[in-house]
Amino acid sequence: MKVAEKYTDAELTSAISSGKDLDPAIHFLYRQYSEAIRSFIMSYGGNEQDADDVFQETVIAFIDCVKKGKYRQESSVKTFLASVARHIWFNDLKKKERAGIREKKYESARDQQEKDISHQIGDVEQRRQLRELLTQLGEPCHKLLHLFYYENLPMKEIVEHLPYENEQVVRNKKYKCLQQLTGLLKANPALAGQLNELIK
Amino acid sequence: MSLEKTNALIDHLDKDFAGADTRISPETTAATTRLIAEDEEAAKEWAYLQRAVDAVQQAGLYQQVASARQQWESQAESAAETQQQDHPPAEAPAAGMVRNLYRNMMRAAAVILVLLAGGAIFKYVRLSSSSLYSEYYSSYELNTSRGAAGQDSIDQAYTARNWNEVLTLSADAKTSSNKMEFLAGMADLELKKFDDAIAHFEQVIASNTHSGQDYFEDEAEYYLAMSWLAKRKVNEAMPILEKIKANKDHLYHDKVEKMSFTDLRLVQYKENK
Repeated sequence: MKVAEKYTDAELTSAISSGKDLDPAIHFLYRQYSEAIRSFIMSYGGNEQDADDVFQETVIAFIDCVKKGKYRQESSVKTFLASVARHIWFNDLKKKERAGIREKKYESARDQQEKDISHQIGDVEQRRQLRELLTQLGEPCHKLLHLFYYENLPMKEIVEHLPYENEQVVRNKKYKCLQQLTGLLKANPALAGQLNELIK
Repeated sequence: MSLEKTNALIDHLDKDFAGADTRISPETTAATTRLIAEDEEAAKEWAYLQRAVDAVQQAGLYQQVASARQQWESQAESAAETQQQDHPPAEAPAAGMVRNLYRNMMRAAAVILVLLAGGAIFKYVRLSSSSLYSEYYSSYELNTSRGAAGQDSIDQAYTARNWNEVLTLSADAKTSSNKMEFLAGMADLELKKFDDAIAHFEQVIASNTHSGQDYFEDEAEYYLAMSWLAKRKVNEAMPILEKIKANKDHLYHDKVEKMSFTDLRLVQYKENK
């Protein structure tokens, strides 16, 4: 882990939004907030593994929220993380306790603050399902799409990381990989259903 | 949708990425924009492509955070090992034992529920989180010998039940302490500002974790559970109460043990319905 970098809330969100040097920002989140959030989850009946998993999912949701410009900075990062963690943990608890029948009832019982958080961080379960799709894609395609769409590398550098002859071959392969991924998306009833609802 | 059109959509999607094909002309870009706006099938395919990229980015972010977590955990492990060598910890109860105890309690509660079905129906109608809160809540009595010598102004305001003054003193204080946070939480609870009370109690717990102390920890946990009950959120109160009940050394263990968990579960069932 890199040597301590310190951020104010504004510096942290700006580092995340810029997308550059995300690693130090993630390390800072772990160093600064993981203990407090973990103890918070454990005080609500979670074990250590639950607390670690919830914090990881909290960090992902927070970064995603900042990157998409949905974090409104109305509260401090610490308070926001605590609300996100609480939201994720209670959703997990409800799922564990009563798979299936609870969601609708739970939704109606939520207060405004929880609805706001839910609106800002999006659907955590949907995010998990999206990640799961990539594991069905096969390593070569996953790597190629990761380098292009996540690492945001120029084609010249992508070619250096992959066993393909030139940029055009990589580009053709990428077309196929992305279509393969949309195929998996269309074949997933839950994800396709949500998307079709949005398109309507 | 033809392969050609799909590839045109992909090129259009790629234009903001560093690996984009720079040979795509502005005319092609404009034509693809029109296609998405006018052709329903293209619009649908476009949405799927965007979601596919979202999936790649989600997986990438997950990978990056998981790797940071791994580094963090190995660091924490070595720190714990060093600490263990210096100060070997007292033996903790096995997690399995706690789980078994919990399961057995659940089984017993289920049997009792069947036997007392008639009584339970009556209770079912009568019970709610807030009725339990009213039944179990009692104001916190400040033990003045616990703090520094003599009563300071926040102690005096609290003892005089001047809740607004407690909140003002707490908000104006240059440095906060667990005691101050806790008393502010109690003042909020007395004023029925349950969300604020919850934030104060959670702050005490978080601050103790950070400092490794347990100052006002037990009090904060108990009244955090009470605050959730007052907010009619028995699901949130239950894990805390169960944790207190399982810990005989907890300051509020006896008090929580006297609570009827059958009632609490009935309320949980009723409010989740």
